[in-house]
Amino acid sequence: MTLPRVLFVTGKGGTGKSTVAAALAIALSRRRPTTLADLDRRLSAAAALGAVLEDSATVKVTGSLDAVALTPRAELEAFIERIVPIRAISRRMLRSRTFGYVTAALPGLEAFLLLERLRIMAGDAALEDRYLVIDAPASGSAVELLSVSSGVKGIAPGGTLNRLADSVDSFLTDATRFGAIVTMTPEDLAVREALEIAATMRERLGIVTVAAIMNCVPDLLFDTSELAALNSLGGHARLAVRRNAAHQQAALAAPRFAAAGIPTFSLPMMFTPAMGPAEVEKLGRVLDRELLDR
Amino acid sequence: MKPRAAQLKPSARPRHPAHPESLDLRSQSLVICLGPGGVGKTTISAALAVRAAVIGCAVDVMTVDPAPRLLDALGLGADSSEPVEVQLEGIAHARRGGGSGHARLRALRLDPKRTFDSIVARYALSDAARDTILENRIYRNLSGALAGVADYMAMEKLLELAANPSTDLLVLDTPPAAEALDFLDAPRRLLELLNSRAVSLLGAPAGLFRSRLRMVDIAARAVLAAFDRVTGLNLLSDVQSFVRSFDGMYEGFSARAALAQDKLRAPDTAIVIVTTAESSRIAQAREFIGALERGGLRVAAMVVNRVIAELPDAAELASARIAPSLKRKLKRNLADYAALKTREQVSLSALRNSLPGGAVLMVAPDLGREPRTIADLAEIGRSLRAG
Repeated sequence: MTLPRVLFVTGKGGTGKSTVAAALAIALSRRRPTTLADLDRRLSAAAALGAVLEDSATVKVTGSLDAVALTPRAELEAFIERIVPIRAISRRMLRSRTFGYVTAALPGLEAFLLLERLRIMAGDAALEDRYLVIDAPASGSAVELLSVSSGVKGIAPGGTLNRLADSVDSFLTDATRFGAIVTMTPEDLAVREALEIAATMRERLGIVTVAAIMNCVPDLLFDTSELAALNSLGGHARLAVRRNAAHQQAALAAPRFAAAGIPTFSLPMMFTPAMGPAEVEKLGRVLDRELLDR
Repeated sequence: MKPRAAQLKPSARPRHPAHPESLDLRSQSLVICLGPGGVGKTTISAALAVRAAVIGCAVDVMTVDPAPRLLDALGLGADSSEPVEVQLEGIAHARRGGGSGHARLRALRLDPKRTFDSIVARYALSDAARDTILENRIYRNLSGALAGVADYMAMEKLLELAANPSTDLLVLDTPPAAEALDFLDAPRRLLELLNSRAVSLLGAPAGLFRSRLRMVDIAARAVLAAFDRVTGLNLLSDVQSFVRSFDGMYEGFSARAALAQDKLRAPDTAIVIVTTAESSRIAQAREFIGALERGGLRVAAMVVNRVIAELPDAAELASARIAPSLKRKLKRNLADYAALKTREQVSLSALRNSLPGGAVLMVAPDLGREPRTIADLAEIGRSLRAG
């Protein structure tokens, strides 16, 4: 399927956003050079691929995959240095505690600058024919982050920030440049939150969700008659029912997303004693086959 | 299996003094649950509260952002910013014997905006001063979930609830946090903004007060002015009027913040870190512990939520009278979940090794479904055990 340059991966906490972002980046990097951008200070997505990343530095994961960490603080510093060209003053400004409190009280200045950075990276990605995968915050914070540019326009009626907000807005709503991917697990709450965030992004922000990814789906092992035969085996029966229930929960979610025009893709539950780069690569191969080949 | 309640009795002797078996809810007056998002912090807070009520305490639980199902379970509406009595019938015979001799459970939802507004109303020196604050742009942003105000308000509400003599235990759920101290440190951050000399003097005419201003303040003022000009935010006057309107209220705020800090460090306050067994979450939980210790705060317990429940016995399969093909599938199913259990054990032992002295490690087995009722919460509370 045709994907936008920038893929913003979000979902309920605990649904494996970082794993999915990492797997997606691996899959895309087989076709085009790809950058995996981590908005999480802990760099979980890069770590899932076994890459060690220093703050705001770029690291090569494979020949065609880079990982980069983006932090609001670093973006704020870059912004201040841009608008206050005298380094002594800009440094002084950043060190000032008062300045820190005031920017903290501003409605999402740091978040806004992060979006602006993504817009610039998207432009570069288009020029270099690259993909950019973003391991974004969990649903609630992601919506806050994405809504920030309209907020900035409200409080800064003129000036540099207002102009930037306009261009960030048109970037986020341009389906060829920016798209969201929502992650979930086969649990009612996670599915509902994924549907909600996709609806919020579409209705309130004009952002397209290009795919929903159902993570941790166990393969179907037992049919109904087999489950019925397990009555006498308490613990084993419960474990079998649990596996089947998760599988069915995943199957039930797809039509709900289809009704919203969003294709759903499943990633298998990795029943392995460890979840390392090898497992993420496997998931990447699934996405390569199921999502990208479509 | 011994009765779970016995583990929670104050008389139960821990086997290892360094790491007690369980968190003794009866000897706490405040339990604060901290943790990253998506680990089931609200569920664990509610389960601990139900548990405490079942063993005889008068409990209040304050949730921050509960899932709809949990709201239903607790009988909370969208607008329950005052405590609502939770029906415990059919859960257990709530025994008498808590501090007040009257077991009960009440739940409420934190509404940060409303709490902040009511504090402003309480401390404002006049109605005009109150209105100026409530309409200020900075205040409106501050009170809208940004800049840790929800955190600050939770602390404020906590003091209010803790002052109720008929409550033995207050259980506090907190907003998901990336950093452990985000929540506990919120009052200090807000106070520092309000108390910032540079901010309060931003609008002072040049020359006036200059002798009392340090170079740092002058520089801060200059950079803020430059920032304002370039960005077009015109914030200076708003920040300044915001801070100025708090004149005279600062004392009240700072006294409350000091009280909250004392409360956090009180011997009958237990900080509980909630996590899941996923390795990235465990790593985050360990960072939380470190940050709390550096902040001089003691972690009383770690709860690892949704651990895989006890697996069935493989030997049962050998003698089971079922089709061989089904038997093979069951063996595979067991092996699959055993692999996940192994993964979990590795994370848990890493956590056990980094547990601070005196802290309890507890696990909450996965119910296999989302908790929907008080009975589900009671079951989680009852099944909490040493990990």
